[in-house]
Amino acid sequence: MFFQLIVSGIAVGSVYTLVALGMTILYRSTTVVNFCHGEFFMVGAFAVVVSQQMFGWSVAPSIVFALSLMFVVGAGIERGLMRPLQNAPHISLTMMTVALSYLLKGVSRFFYGREVIALPPLISGDPIAVGDVSVFPQDLLIIGVSLIVVVVFYYFFQRTRIGKVIQAASQTPRGASLVGINVPLLRNLMWGVGAVMGAVAGILIAPNTLVYPDMGGHMLILAFAAMTLGGFGSLPGAVVGGVTLGILENIVGGYVSSSLVEITPYLVIIAVLIIRPQGIMGEWRQDRA
Amino acid sequence: MTPAGPSAHRVRKQRRYGLIALLVLLCLLPLVLNDYVQFVINTMLVYCLVAVGFNVVIGYLGQLAFANAAFFGVGAYATGLSMVHFGLPYPVAMLIGTCAGGIVGGAVGLPALRVKGYYLAIITLAVGELMRWFYVHLDNITYGSGGFNVPNIHVFGTTLTDRGKYYVFLAAVVLGITSTSLLLRSRFGRAFAAIRTNELAAASLGIAVNRTKVIAFAWSGLIVGLAGALYAALNGRVSPDTFGLSQMLMQFAIVVIGGLGSLAGSVIGAVVLTAAPELLRDFPGFEEIVFSLLLIGVLFFMPKGIGGLLARKFPLFRERLYREPTDA
Repeated sequence: MFFQLIVSGIAVGSVYTLVALGMTILYRSTTVVNFCHGEFFMVGAFAVVVSQQMFGWSVAPSIVFALSLMFVVGAGIERGLMRPLQNAPHISLTMMTVALSYLLKGVSRFFYGREVIALPPLISGDPIAVGDVSVFPQDLLIIGVSLIVVVVFYYFFQRTRIGKVIQAASQTPRGASLVGINVPLLRNLMWGVGAVMGAVAGILIAPNTLVYPDMGGHMLILAFAAMTLGGFGSLPGAVVGGVTLGILENIVGGYVSSSLVEITPYLVIIAVLIIRPQGIMGEWRQDRA
Repeated sequence: MTPAGPSAHRVRKQRRYGLIALLVLLCLLPLVLNDYVQFVINTMLVYCLVAVGFNVVIGYLGQLAFANAAFFGVGAYATGLSMVHFGLPYPVAMLIGTCAGGIVGGAVGLPALRVKGYYLAIITLAVGELMRWFYVHLDNITYGSGGFNVPNIHVFGTTLTDRGKYYVFLAAVVLGITSTSLLLRSRFGRAFAAIRTNELAAASLGIAVNRTKVIAFAWSGLIVGLAGALYAALNGRVSPDTFGLSQMLMQFAIVVIGGLGSLAGSVIGAVVLTAAPELLRDFPGFEEIVFSLLLIGVLFFMPKGIGGLLARKFPLFRERLYREPTDA
């Protein structure tokens, strides 16, 4: 039972990791905490639903469509709504993401009302049993995709030139632009990538949950918890925090009480911020208000 | 102190007469309203207090704390439950709800001494959701996820109608806004603004930063707790899902659209954002779209909200953090 809990914890935690990674990338490159990331998550899943049910596309093209759509949406949001506020107080940027969260939720509710849509799993099939641990193929897919994303990110940020440029631009935007780096363009791209990351997580989890306009809200808090646990603003921290949170939830649910699962993320946030605000891997700085 | 010239004197007089006229109008208002509009107006009054209380922390103290819906919920639950379980009369229950809000407010102020900015935003959001979990799972006290009905309020043997509630609410709002305004114009209010601008500088001027922060949070909790107490009476029902993330974001929208650091703005924001959903309730999703467009418009064109815009155009709406000399 213990190993079973760990494995399902990793599967759930992989999704948290993807969401938290998307938010961390945005936070690092723009210093904005994105309150509409949960809605990127939701709209990504909705885009798949729309292209499958209304356009009648099969799985692969609809996913490609959803991801490209989200890239355009993310980049468009940066260009149209965030960039004009670049010189405004920082709190205005946060509010803009709250406004966007309303907008995206409102638009999807306008089209889908109170409908709750079920999406078939991307890979169906019976659970695979190894010893006394059994895993659904869909969960394996989630873990696999997250692993690929994490490896690609690691390689991109640590080994490629453009990845290092992006890191430099997020550390000191002014210095980066002085040496000829196009910081606004990078921010634009990062918004696109962040939105795609949200959508990937949404599409992966949609068959397990359900697709409805409010599905993103709870995920936002889970992502906050994962980020806080791992270390706010740290990319490896998002991965460690996401997986740890997933495992923790399952262990609490399995050994203590299933009603405590819901508040595990909140307790994690409160405990971490009071006891060790920098989280597991983060560095502690408090300059961004 | 700024010398009070003849024009400052005139503005002060205008403001005083304006407020008196407004109050008289508000007292006469129920005579021309039907029941539905009366209910909507009552809701507006509740959210006026919510916005004023929230503004103390987010607008004046400048702390990104998102536990306001939790204070609201605590006020409503404490009021409702003390009526249900102990059969207390509404005024006493209201007092309990207000104090409960103040205590929780002060307690939430404690982490604000340690974490700032986004960290504070996240920890306070977590506190809010945690409270909601308690409402659902302490079901032998709070009646669980379905919520509970608040008993009817009796005054001199008759049940209080919406119209009667209106006067109770109006009195509470006048009391809440007046006292908050007085607090903000005292040395505490100026200390809040000093901490918002620069905490280090405030401390070096001899302001006890920690104590002042806890006072601001407790005051905010007190006012929002009072709003919660009114909410319990408003539709006679209290349930956990009223006090979740969406409530929190709506209160945030009210304060931002109204104007951070503006009491008049808080009231305007509350009125606009309470009316909007009522007008748009037949169209699913429209409420959120309108909210978001309002927010985006305010962020682009009025960085200080409606209140800030009015203050720039009309001296009548300028809210100073000191008391003007009265003898001029």
